[in-house]
Amino acid sequence: MKHLFKTGLAAASAMVLSTGLAFAGPYDKYAGTTIVVSWPALSHFKAAETLIEEFTAETGIEVEVDALQYLNLRDRQLLEMSKPRGDYDVVSWVVMWKGEYVSKGLLTPLSQFFTSGSLVDPNYDIDDIADAYLQNGGVVGGKKGYMPGKSGALYGIPFGAETSILAYRKDILEEQGIDVPGTYDELRAAMAKLKEAGIPAMTSRGATGHQVTAAWLFHLAPLGGKIFDDQWNPVVNSPEAVEAAEVLREIAKTGPVGIPAFGFGEAAASFLQGESAMYLDTLKIAAMVRDPAQSKVDGKVGYATHPVGSRCGSETGGFAMGIPANSQNKEAAFLFLQYMTNKAGDQRMVELGGDPVRMSTLAANADKFEDFPVVLEQLPCADADWRPLIPEWNELNIDVLGQALTEVITTDKPIQPIMDAANEKARAIMQREGYYVWRN
Amino acid sequence: MAHAPQDPLTAALPMPMAKPRFEPGFLTPYAFIIPALLVMLGGLLYPVFMALYLSFYDWQIGLPLEDADFIGMTNFARMFTDPQVWEVLWVTLRFGFWTITIEMTLGVALALLLEKPIRGASVFRTIFILPLMVSPVVVGLIWRYLFDARIGWINYYLGAWFGIDPQVWLGDAQLAFFAIVLTDIWQWTPFIFIIVIAGLQALPSEVVEASTIDGANWWQQIFLVKLPMIKSILVIALLMRLIDVFRGMEVMLIMTGGGPGRSTELLSLHIYNRAFNTQQLGYASAISVLLIVIVFAISTAILTMANPMKNKSDV
Repeated sequence: MKHLFKTGLAAASAMVLSTGLAFAGPYDKYAGTTIVVSWPALSHFKAAETLIEEFTAETGIEVEVDALQYLNLRDRQLLEMSKPRGDYDVVSWVVMWKGEYVSKGLLTPLSQFFTSGSLVDPNYDIDDIADAYLQNGGVVGGKKGYMPGKSGALYGIPFGAETSILAYRKDILEEQGIDVPGTYDELRAAMAKLKEAGIPAMTSRGATGHQVTAAWLFHLAPLGGKIFDDQWNPVVNSPEAVEAAEVLREIAKTGPVGIPAFGFGEAAASFLQGESAMYLDTLKIAAMVRDPAQSKVDGKVGYATHPVGSRCGSETGGFAMGIPANSQNKEAAFLFLQYMTNKAGDQRMVELGGDPVRMSTLAANADKFEDFPVVLEQLPCADADWRPLIPEWNELNIDVLGQALTEVITTDKPIQPIMDAANEKARAIMQREGYYVWRN
Repeated sequence: MAHAPQDPLTAALPMPMAKPRFEPGFLTPYAFIIPALLVMLGGLLYPVFMALYLSFYDWQIGLPLEDADFIGMTNFARMFTDPQVWEVLWVTLRFGFWTITIEMTLGVALALLLEKPIRGASVFRTIFILPLMVSPVVVGLIWRYLFDARIGWINYYLGAWFGIDPQVWLGDAQLAFFAIVLTDIWQWTPFIFIIVIAGLQALPSEVVEASTIDGANWWQQIFLVKLPMIKSILVIALLMRLIDVFRGMEVMLIMTGGGPGRSTELLSLHIYNRAFNTQQLGYASAISVLLIVIVFAISTAILTMANPMKNKSDV
């Protein structure tokens, strides 16, 4: 009798448990887990803090955020991810670091989560994420090592990703009788005319290193230039590259005082404070224009697609999020990643003042924000390969191009010899890193 | 066998024991020194030897040290042929020359002016040493915004008072170099001032009085009496500033990031960039070894030429 009772109790317990498991929510198993997220102290990520609170309330997964100035993230993340057991469960990287992180074995491929029925949300719809963003921020492999291809794999999901658009002061262009520039020729003519009228034409980054290189790259792709040819030969002294440097010099000469010392913040502030007529950089400027705490120009700004040179090609950049290989809470981290970038999360980010990464979110909100239709139009020709996201890029970016382009915008020296010298230095680095060892 | 008569005064005392070969007490001083020695070895010599060790490897952050490739003297060979290293070394030497010369001159002059008990001297002294209390990162931020081409006070007042057009202080090679020199002078002149004034106040008043009786005027008292008597203090102040010039990087990192170009990139900032921007820890270590050798050589030369411990009559 006693034995029968025990057996019955065990069977009942098993039934209750199995029923409970079968109906448990996808987050129940991870409730009470704490994950640590490393990301930049930028407006999009600040806005995401509210979404994090909602994530914790819905899932029971606690989130600690370690927010740092964005150019300082890399050192911290590299140190954390190289430990046997890291503190970070989610890291957000500037897209140009993804190659280095993967080549050092520091990131977890996301395929292992996207193939798990218990983890992946069937309505996630990864195809809805803008192609250029996903390729640029999340995919590593392919023929070049940083683009999609047969050897490519997904390591991150874009979050805080961006492309470039033109923001301009409607009142100033109208007053000066200048049409919104649609091509580089028109842009250069507009800058010259504004300069003649005594109005600082276009703001730009220009500080030595990463900032001035980024400013030049914005013009390189649409003018038809590249950093390397198909054989990894640097071509930063090509006619297109030199023309991009000429445009940058013109911007520095016709723009607001101080461009050679401007980082991203200073360049944006110049436009937001009404000191420049145009801004050609990340789409994030639109949210900043709308923020009365930062902007004096809300209501006066129009948006247009990135001017076209010999081809259409805006930047792709910003951030993507992934999971370190040494994370102790990978599944909870994936659930976080998924929640922040699913359709509802993407829409919520828009409501909180952030930037969407999904085409459906952009389309759904196109009538609410003046810049969204422009971004929708821009994204199909956003160039995911506008800069080489190889591990050596950081050295080329800061040490070689970042120095040469400073010389371009702070002196009147002929540009071609400056870029020729930079090309030689770039070649030496590629040689040192073994890119030509397969050649006879 | 007859015993020698015993001194009645010492008879009650115990017989002296034979001197032991090892007296435990002689270890006591060493025991006291050992903790300090261990701290020195751990905190000073270990990093130096580690830098030397790493300089023979090709190692990047994010990869295990065990996986680093031993490359012998390659980093040193590269360093000696790398024009960037010589460029930043030249920037460092120019920076050191201008800052130390001006700081020593100003610091000594201020100390001589405020040496005597004049009304409000203590207030002036407190104000003068305030910059020393500010962290280098904050100093960098303060001066970065003062020199800002758009919103900086310096451009504003130059325009308002003298009608000078706004200057791109931190975006022009010469102006940026001037800006970091000025910032360093602002922060470190008080250091010289405080050391020198302490030295001046410790001078024996009889000597100064004697020189007055002998007819020395104010200038003669300064150049023939006071400064020679605080020579050792001046040498130490010079040495400390010199070492700081080679070590310091925070202010430049915040103000200019070493730019435009490499116009404000000091050797230590170059090492930082090599280590953390381009991830070449082995190469950065090799340049660190060069830095140690340079500082050691200059320090030795100064101490040899003007050893403060040599002349005991110095204060």
